[in-house]
Amino acid sequence: MPAARTPRVPVEERLFSLVLALLATDHGLTKGEILSTVQGYRQRWSSAGDNVALERQFERDKDDIRELGVPLETIDDPAAAGNNQALRYRIPRGAYELPDDISFSSEETALLTLAAMVWREGTLSGESRRALVKLRGLGGTDSVPELAYAPRVRSRDAAFEPLRTALDRGVVVEFDYLKPGDDSPRRRVVAPYALVQHQGRWMVAAVEPDTGRSKTFLLSRVTGPVRLTARTAERPDDLTASSALAELDRLWAERRAVVRVAPGSDAETRLTKRRGSVPADDAGLEVHYVDLHVLAEELASFGPEVAVRRPDELRELVARRLRRVATAHEGSPRG
Amino acid sequence: MADRRPAAQATDRLAFLLTLVPWLIDQGRVSVAATAAHFGVPVDEIRRAVQLIAVSGVPGETRQYQHGDLFDIAWDDFEQHDVVQLTNLVAIDDAPRFSAREAAALIAGLQYLSALPEHADRAAVATLMGKLSRGASAAPSQVAIGAGEQDEVLDLVHRAVEGGVQLEFDYSGLRGQVERRRVDPLRVESVDADWYLRGWDHLREAVRTFRLDRIARPALTDAPVDHRTSDVALPDELFQGTPDDVLVTVELDAAAAPLLADYEPTDAEPVPGDRVRLRLRVTRLGTVARLVAGLPGDPEVVAPAAARAAVRDWALGGLQGA
Repeated sequence: MPAARTPRVPVEERLFSLVLALLATDHGLTKGEILSTVQGYRQRWSSAGDNVALERQFERDKDDIRELGVPLETIDDPAAAGNNQALRYRIPRGAYELPDDISFSSEETALLTLAAMVWREGTLSGESRRALVKLRGLGGTDSVPELAYAPRVRSRDAAFEPLRTALDRGVVVEFDYLKPGDDSPRRRVVAPYALVQHQGRWMVAAVEPDTGRSKTFLLSRVTGPVRLTARTAERPDDLTASSALAELDRLWAERRAVVRVAPGSDAETRLTKRRGSVPADDAGLEVHYVDLHVLAEELASFGPEVAVRRPDELRELVARRLRRVATAHEGSPRG
Repeated sequence: MADRRPAAQATDRLAFLLTLVPWLIDQGRVSVAATAAHFGVPVDEIRRAVQLIAVSGVPGETRQYQHGDLFDIAWDDFEQHDVVQLTNLVAIDDAPRFSAREAAALIAGLQYLSALPEHADRAAVATLMGKLSRGASAAPSQVAIGAGEQDEVLDLVHRAVEGGVQLEFDYSGLRGQVERRRVDPLRVESVDADWYLRGWDHLREAVRTFRLDRIARPALTDAPVDHRTSDVALPDELFQGTPDDVLVTVELDAAAAPLLADYEPTDAEPVPGDRVRLRLRVTRLGTVARLVAGLPGDPEVVAPAAARAAVRDWALGGLQGA
């Protein structure tokens, strides 16, 4: 019947038909079988030969379907190893279907709905939305409690998305990084293993493939585009997002400086409410930090509202920065 | 005729179809209206999806998509009563797994929520994270948000929302003056380390954004709220421009320019020596002084002169105290 069915089959109909066909097969279908029989491909398939564009379409469709979490599998025919045309494709039911014992109570659904709403921008918000649709599909018709207010977080650093993709693919990336305290950015080549937000700052935890050393980089200091390389890197088992956060917490707890803040100032409000801040001797305030240079920049921005007591290195960094700013703004602009 | 890459909507619609089929199977017979309400999508979209499902299936042994190889629905019920009932099923019985990225997005969202006082039930959150990991098609990617400080203000905001009452607090405004404000809380947002409360401000009679760390002496009131999230349109930007805003021209190393993204710079213009000039809109000159004093990339305010002076005085003041 549908040979006469022109014009084009909508994209979602082709993708849906492909998933159905691959779920229904136990032994898998070859590319030729798929292109010549599955709705959306067969209308464009030529038995005479040239199906290059259609094959490219199929490759893209496979990627798109896998992006949705559909486990599209390739089976190699041992009798015809290396023969691309003999590969068979299928979607194993067990890996496709949500395990039977996973269900969510209405309280859990409400909490997950709130968790999805946390992301207000970027692909995390798109993926959360899709996850919510799947979640709704698990529920009966009873309503999910209305949410009175939702906390939101922004992940606007330009480096966030490419680094997340690199994480998923397990590949090495290259980017220019302006290390706090340095004057100019330097090229970094690293294998990212986690993206973490610590004290409000997004960081990528990564291993330098050449030295094997683990380092964290502030996303806001990645100054150019992040380039994904073809080089893959396995994440060492002991390096996770939690281990990266634990290490940052350890540094935060260990590193402390003492400052004096002007009463009633913005600096007083903000530094006093900073995590772990406690009063120190002689009307001082002890504050925690991870990176001395980042802290120096933060303190310098408070200008006259803050005076550094210790360590000396911090006092010198802040003073040097303020002298430089004062000098740059003497008289008329240099430009 | 190479196809264009399918728009994100096509994969979103596929995910919806794969979710809708098992849900419809579970429902047995359900109205289009109830389905639309459950998934929060327009009724037309449900009708389109059902029509597509009804003509879809597998090639089958004949490779001709014969009748028995296709889904089928009770057409009369659908066309006359707007009710859906699948009468023949193909290939799909059960709900799909979450993708690794979907699970990771929810897990990171949960971690963020668990830092808030009202969601601090760590055991419940851990159980949910375990379920999501098991329900994902691959290990969720490593994205995590560290615990923050549990904030007394956040707790009060939550209680105000729950009780539907106004919140009042002392707020140090832009020009340093402290005022007692009364607010209908609408939303809590964080940008990096900074937390904001957005709400209807009864003093200004408008939506306002408050920094949580500038809020002091917060208290619940007896007065019920006038405005709720459902009837106030919150703009995407935290702060709206005002006629009093000052345009400031800043020059700095090109490599450091992205750090100003939060200030929505305009007219970036390259300057010799790998530097750029751009213009920022600020509410007052003090903001520029704070910004420039803490910014890498050797920033210099070029104009107006009053802004240059403000930056210089700010830095000199800081040096005197040291």
